[in-house]
Amino acid sequence: MAEVTLYHWEPNANSGKPMLALMEKGVTFDSHYIDMLNFDQHRPEYLAINPQGTIPAMTHRGTWGDRVLVESTAIMEYVNEQFDGPDLMPGDARDRWRIRWWMKFMDQWLAPSFSMFGWKFFVGPNALKAHGQDKIEAQIARIPLPERQTAWRKAVFGLFSEAEMAESGRRIGVGIQMLEAELGKREWLASDQYSLADVNGFNLAYAMPLSQPHLANDDLTPNIMRWLRAIYRRPATRECWKLGRTPMASRVEILEQDYIPPRDESEGIASGVR
Amino acid sequence: MSMILYHGEPNGPSLAVLAALAESGVEAECRPINLLAGDRHTLPGLTDAVARDMGVEGEGPVLVVDGEAMTESVFIAQFLDERGKQSLQPREAFAHWQMLMWCRRITERCAPAAAFLGCRAYAAGKLGSPAIASADLAARWAAVQAGDFPEEQVADSVRHVTATVQLVEDQLADGRDWLMGPLTLADFESYGWLTGMVALVPEAFAGQDRATAWLARVRAHPAVQNALAQATGANPEQSWAPGPEINRWG
Repeated sequence: MAEVTLYHWEPNANSGKPMLALMEKGVTFDSHYIDMLNFDQHRPEYLAINPQGTIPAMTHRGTWGDRVLVESTAIMEYVNEQFDGPDLMPGDARDRWRIRWWMKFMDQWLAPSFSMFGWKFFVGPNALKAHGQDKIEAQIARIPLPERQTAWRKAVFGLFSEAEMAESGRRIGVGIQMLEAELGKREWLASDQYSLADVNGFNLAYAMPLSQPHLANDDLTPNIMRWLRAIYRRPATRECWKLGRTPMASRVEILEQDYIPPRDESEGIASGVR
Repeated sequence: MSMILYHGEPNGPSLAVLAALAESGVEAECRPINLLAGDRHTLPGLTDAVARDMGVEGEGPVLVVDGEAMTESVFIAQFLDERGKQSLQPREAFAHWQMLMWCRRITERCAPAAAFLGCRAYAAGKLGSPAIASADLAARWAAVQAGDFPEEQVADSVRHVTATVQLVEDQLADGRDWLMGPLTLADFESYGWLTGMVALVPEAFAGQDRATAWLARVRAHPAVQNALAQATGANPEQSWAPGPEINRWG
């Protein structure tokens, strides 16, 4: 048994961040798949590990006993500091500041807007289809964090308001432009070396050419596309995405295309492409 | 390298960064600005303003290094610490993770609530009208200026402040002086957001003797005294400006 066990869903968003960081560092870990749409994260056996019922979580066994770590970006920082392997934070303090700034911006400002679309068009409808209304009410009632209960209710029952969706759409547009501009300054996001910001950003952005084809493509965002393809070519990325079990993970294959033209917004996430 | 720290009155994130600067030993020119007037949005000589314009923290200090605007008080404090004495962050990875998690808890849950309650008490109707690049920060300015403080958010903010004080109280239960054991930037960050809440949410501190004693201990620390000495008014803990947004997901 490996010292490290990672409890994760698909290589995507929060779950994908520590998965990819561990693989980039070359850390062997036991992969424990948590099926989010089956509410595995709210079952007693998982709540015994992470009482908040959020994914991912990581345990690290050593002379200290079992450490339990949560919050994907903070787990990545731990992985980078704790284990040998390539350093995923640069040596310069200002570069590290910039990487932390971008990770917070993505985690707290941009990613929730992407999530709102993902939950409205994919997570909510698929969970409702799989469980039915009565059963899903009971599942939601078992969620430990009140804000996650709210999020699930909104997703499952289509309760995101037009104003909320419009604001998320605005932020996605602004955020993509900011990423494009930032990636025009340097080879990697926020510094001149591949770092945790790139691991974080790839998990947020790898499917944008599919889900936001009118905003992210080779004509409008060449810097983003160069960056996504460079990360996709890395061996760790290829290995990481093999751990996906649903079509969600296979979206990454769009990055094998040499040229991705703009397409209409209606062909993106709202069409069921996710 | 030129380094200029633009800061508001020593409260909230400005206090945290001023204290970290003092403790780090790093040399930087400190320039007080009026956050309520919108001075932060007209800083001179910026060659890269992305972090100033789009920072999640809202109206906080800005450290300008060679023209690049650096924001987010925890990350500025980390930068200063790493450039200086390196005494404010645990070296061991798990202890460092614990400190980062604590700071994230403060900036995500406590800071939006404290800024909301602080603005409600002291800032409404007192704001200038700068050009603000971020549409959502501009909306928070407009709400404060209009006195738009929904009761549901008031109650929710009081709950978050109360929960944070309880967290501090519990964290100190083993008799430690500082939140992480040794003094870290988590003490400065937490103190900055909480000290002004003593007057606004007194019930949160009632009977919380360890948290109250910790507040006094942090206040007495030389780095915090150094920060407080830069106040231009009598009550810096009453100085608030629009801060981080309250979680959009409910």
